[in-house]
Amino acid sequence: MGTTRMGRDVYTQLVWGTRTSLMVGILAGFIVTLIGTVVGLTAAYYGGATDEALNFATNVVLVLPQLPLLLVLAAFLGQVGPLSIAIIIGLTSWAWGARVTRAQAMTLKNREFIQASQLIGEPAWRMILVEMLPNLLSIIGFNFIGSVIFTIITQATLEFLGLGDPLSVSWGTMLYNAKNASAITVGAWWEMAAPCVAIVIIGVGLSLLNFGVDEISNPRLRTLGAIGKAMKLQKKLDRARLAEKEA
Amino acid sequence: MRFILRRLAFYLVAFLVAATFNFLIPRLMPGNPADVMLAQAQGTLPPEAREALMETFGFINEPLYLQYLKYLGSIFTWDFGLSVKYYPTPVYDLLARALPWTLFLTGTATLVAYALGTLFGIRAAWRRGSRFDSIVSPLALALQSIPPVVVAITALFVFAVTLNWLPAGYAFDPSLEPSLSGPFLSSMFFHALMPVLSLSIVLVGGYLITMRNNMIGQLGEDYVHLAEAKGLSDARVRYNYAARNAFLPSITAFAISLGAVFGGSLITEVVFNYPGLGNLLYMGVIARDFPLIQGQLLIMTLAMLSANFVVDIAYVVLDPRLRRA
Repeated sequence: MGTTRMGRDVYTQLVWGTRTSLMVGILAGFIVTLIGTVVGLTAAYYGGATDEALNFATNVVLVLPQLPLLLVLAAFLGQVGPLSIAIIIGLTSWAWGARVTRAQAMTLKNREFIQASQLIGEPAWRMILVEMLPNLLSIIGFNFIGSVIFTIITQATLEFLGLGDPLSVSWGTMLYNAKNASAITVGAWWEMAAPCVAIVIIGVGLSLLNFGVDEISNPRLRTLGAIGKAMKLQKKLDRARLAEKEA
Repeated sequence: MRFILRRLAFYLVAFLVAATFNFLIPRLMPGNPADVMLAQAQGTLPPEAREALMETFGFINEPLYLQYLKYLGSIFTWDFGLSVKYYPTPVYDLLARALPWTLFLTGTATLVAYALGTLFGIRAAWRRGSRFDSIVSPLALALQSIPPVVVAITALFVFAVTLNWLPAGYAFDPSLEPSLSGPFLSSMFFHALMPVLSLSIVLVGGYLITMRNNMIGQLGEDYVHLAEAKGLSDARVRYNYAARNAFLPSITAFAISLGAVFGGSLITEVVFNYPGLGNLLYMGVIARDFPLIQGQLLIMTLAMLSANFVVDIAYVVLDPRLRRA
């Protein structure tokens, strides 16, 4: 893959950067999922004033412009390391997950098995953890993987803008260094291409994984599988019609 | 009407929350604008000036709640203080200069992306499983997970550096005087082409997928079958029956995506050196220009809340059920 204009090996940086980016992504994804699930489930289960308050907080976080907010936080903290970036992103991006989890948990609440366990007199923690949580796993998984993609992209963006710690090696700092060495204007595309391609591959890969997980855990959502089935069915019908005509 | 008023109250509170964050962040975190200015002056300012500077930037020696009230008062009179980097230009002037460019960029890009995404989404859903659907829909899924920064850099490299078709930066040719003349407008158009298109590419995937999925849901409804059974033309069933109802949830998705729109424009502006809010924010962040950064965050919040409010009104216009409630 060649070297950067500063004489560093691109391949080595890319491999090392993968480690940083994945770690940040998974850590932030974990924080996002944890907050989102706790807020969403609590709001849906308790309802009433708790729901009002939590839902209000979620909506406020949802309408604040996120990237500018992240930029401001990162700017005031000075040049932040990958770990702090993960924590900042985790603490500011949970709203979408909370909203979706809440909506899904609300539909669960009126199902018969939930009402049955309520009649047996199960305690709240058991209702939430044993009865509701397993039924929400697909949405929680979706939220987790989505947050990992979002974090990897956002981290690279923040570092590209020069808000990361320039001494740590990650895809974002690679982009930042390439930009500072004006790699694009002199035509040194490989310096930019390596981290760009890496981000795209992991982004597309994870989102495909997400749709795969979704299809397995929730048969009703099998959109892509349905296309395949519909096409097969159509071909079968066409063949049957052809056979009928010939006969 | 009650719906609109409730939303308005919500946005007001949301804005206050943002303003409070904005007030607290610099007071809780290390670093302050006066020290940045002293450091920039490199010893040409006497240390006694620090006190005066702190006061200029709103760090008054008063109880916190008085500072807070003063801060809120200054916001509602559009007084965001003085910029550190472009001292002594007021932040308000800088923002007023940059805002139109950002509105132009984001407005055009969302319009293009939303129109294309919705139309393609309708088509993909109508012919589910066709070649069009099986190419466009996975492509949209992939586009959704490609970051704006990658799209912008690739476009810059291909069209500006390698092919040299389009200009690599600025909103218009700096040698031209801003006017409504032909050469100036065409220069503006060519300078805007790449930022607008690369921002649209980032956004189009999400709109397409939402519209396609809503549309598929609607196509299974009884009223669509009835319309088909009545013998209405394909186009009528598609656009006047199914698409109209599939449109509503897609508008909600549009409102949620506004954050991504502003985030995306921020990156696009930085990469293409476009003189909008994003680029200004970037300059401010690099120079640690705290008043500028704070003014920015408020303006962007305000822009986002207003856009959300417009979407709410559009919702009321489009959905008669909400008008009666």
